[in-house]
Amino acid sequence: MISTFFHKRFKRAIWFTFCLILQLQNTSLSSFAKERLIISAIPDQNPEHLNRLHTVLARELSKELNVEVKYIPVINYPAAVSAFRTESIDLVWFGGLTGVQARIQKPGARVVAQRDIDAKFHSVFIANQKSNLPLIKDLSDLSLLKGRRFTFGSESSTSGRLMPQHFLQKAGVRITDFKGGRPGFSGSHDATLALVQSGSYEVGALNEEVWKQNIATNKIDTSKVKVIWRTPPYFDYHWLTQPNIDERFGKGFTNKIRDTLTSFTKESKSQKIILELFGAEKFIPAYSYQYRDIETIGRQLGKIK
Amino acid sequence: MPAIALVPVGKSLVEGFHTGGVNIIVKFLLAAFQPSINRLVIESSFNSLKTTISIAIIAWAISLLNGIFLGVITSNIFTELFKVNLFWSKILKYSLTVPRAIHEVIWGLLLLQVFGLNPYIAIISISIPYSALIARVFAEQINSLDIRSLVASKHSGAGPFETLVTALTPKIIPIIGTYGGYRLECALRGATLLGIFGLGGIGTELTLSIRSLEFNEMWTSLWMLGIILFFLEKVITWIQTPSLYLNNIFNYTITASISILILLVVSILWLNSLDLGISRSLVFYPIQLPSIQELIYSFNKLSWASLISQTICLTLFAAGIAIGLPPILLSLWPSKLGEEVISFLWIVCRLIPAPLSALILLMCSSPSIAVASLALGIQNMGVMGRILKESINNKDLAIFNAIKSLGADKRSAFFYGRICPQSNSYLAYSAYRTDVILRETVLVGVVGGSGLGWQLRESISSFNWSEVILLTATFGIITLTGELLSDHLQYYLLKEIKPKQPLLHLKLHS
Repeated sequence: MISTFFHKRFKRAIWFTFCLILQLQNTSLSSFAKERLIISAIPDQNPEHLNRLHTVLARELSKELNVEVKYIPVINYPAAVSAFRTESIDLVWFGGLTGVQARIQKPGARVVAQRDIDAKFHSVFIANQKSNLPLIKDLSDLSLLKGRRFTFGSESSTSGRLMPQHFLQKAGVRITDFKGGRPGFSGSHDATLALVQSGSYEVGALNEEVWKQNIATNKIDTSKVKVIWRTPPYFDYHWLTQPNIDERFGKGFTNKIRDTLTSFTKESKSQKIILELFGAEKFIPAYSYQYRDIETIGRQLGKIK
Repeated sequence: MPAIALVPVGKSLVEGFHTGGVNIIVKFLLAAFQPSINRLVIESSFNSLKTTISIAIIAWAISLLNGIFLGVITSNIFTELFKVNLFWSKILKYSLTVPRAIHEVIWGLLLLQVFGLNPYIAIISISIPYSALIARVFAEQINSLDIRSLVASKHSGAGPFETLVTALTPKIIPIIGTYGGYRLECALRGATLLGIFGLGGIGTELTLSIRSLEFNEMWTSLWMLGIILFFLEKVITWIQTPSLYLNNIFNYTITASISILILLVVSILWLNSLDLGISRSLVFYPIQLPSIQELIYSFNKLSWASLISQTICLTLFAAGIAIGLPPILLSLWPSKLGEEVISFLWIVCRLIPAPLSALILLMCSSPSIAVASLALGIQNMGVMGRILKESINNKDLAIFNAIKSLGADKRSAFFYGRICPQSNSYLAYSAYRTDVILRETVLVGVVGGSGLGWQLRESISSFNWSEVILLTATFGIITLTGELLSDHLQYYLLKEIKPKQPLLHLKLHS
């Protein structure tokens, strides 16, 4: 026999949990924190690199710009674009395509700087040696790749997907022409490299910088994989800032960011680390008109609406 | 039976087998014994572990509360007691399929669109599919309970609310103990989505090291996560000791609630100390919804037949592997040591995220649906195996001993005496697992041609909302169809076994 006391306590417990549910779901505290510059980058480097990079970069920018700087790593392309649209991040290292997507969703955002290598960026097409594919002399020869197992990198990658797909299309190769009726998406440049080297995919396209780095660190078995084509140059990665930066941090702050980034030199110890982790000699000013082609191609391929 | 799926999958793998990537697989395996012990890596892994655990605990507590609440109100007993219109209850029950059909990462990306980076949104993204899943499990478990006590207390003139509480609590608590504890582990693994919210977390480290194929660093994170899962499993096993709750269910409940509350408070304080912007207010950033024309255009653009058939194929194969293998493995080696070894194997299976196993498998096999389904199947096999083992250990050995004393050999005695009595509840869990597998098909894009899941990611990364709406709806419809089928199947099977009795003969004018 259960006592009424027991009932009451139970009833109370039930009500309590019910209130707790509501409480938990409506918690929202507002705060009046000091203005911080939130920087972010879409990382495709290893975590150890990244941890070093973000501490050094945030410290350096904070010192030069005289504001508090916080680094947030957002590890997914569309998430980074959305975070920019919702003003959660202020200064972001975007790829060509994601930068354009972010600017379209956030009118007034400004392109401030790029690496020296981004003004003439290339992708490379690599092939497994067993595929017996010849070196591609001319863009139209890309049609040789029809019927092969082919992989891109990440869906939103400029160098690992957008530009390679654009050049393929120019040569009359649609992505449904590959073996299996569609290409693979390895998720990253390093994964593309490993998969083509293993032979699971016969051909793949990736960021030329990553290829070079892997050659330099002897991670590539050149008896198994080779470069068959290097794409024409295009603009790629760049720093993008929120439109409201000048309002929040003072007039001319956007330009100050540009000047700071482009003044990094290898003479300074900390700046040298940053430049090396970015794989650059220096940052140079960049402008939105340089990315018009990327926008056009993005629209053609349905990556930009 | 479901293990039949191994045949086509195995065939396809053998056909596509090659040795090109063996050195990478060897590297991956060797790295397990040489995790990176670089101070920076360890430090950041440790910090991210803190984030992951606290977010997982909060998300888990919320989904547990929601799940129990929704589970109770969608159960048949509740509708009978409170005279809820059956139509509404069905609507609610089946509307829960949509949150369940969408992977937490996708929820995360969608909510991020409108609320920006915010730890709460990360927590809510995990809670949405989990709440809906727990709700289904509880509703079905409640429906299968014996409700004589309910009828009795109804007759004694108690109100519907008291009846519900007094009759259900003692029955539900053990279920919550078993299933709830196991959901915490899932929440830990689900917290890998924190990377998209810039919150760090162990999943972020893992994703980055997988992307850059830094196996040594990757294993640092995996080992840490593995150790946590191992301890968690031990704790949960201890909590489930029946003697703990059999005679003092009330104290058990109160203690459990208090410990969960303490955990919650600690987690929130932890998060606060990590400077993740937990005190940020929520701001709503509307997005422009697509027009009807755009929806129609997208509908005509996508090749639905092949997308859906690929996804269903992938799901069924993976489910076959996940559901069929555990009973077979357990029967192969029915001893204490065998069980421990297999348990460890299952932890490893659960630990390695599907995208990683897909990538590793691809190193020695040509891309195909088989690879994707094997990757998903292996991970979920770890989960199913664990559920099976737990439910076997919670049951008495009478049948097993009887069969053994008849002179059957140990293996068949184990199979017929210990696994078969579990088959009903095991198959029910299999149905829930199939939901999860369907949802997880978004994770294996590395294998070209993995259907709706890949297309959904592609559409999200193009910010094509009309396609996203259609694809999420399709996921919902497939899950709904699956649930309706399994409901009908259960109904018919039960009808075969015993004539279904009307649920409650309650003379409510008593």
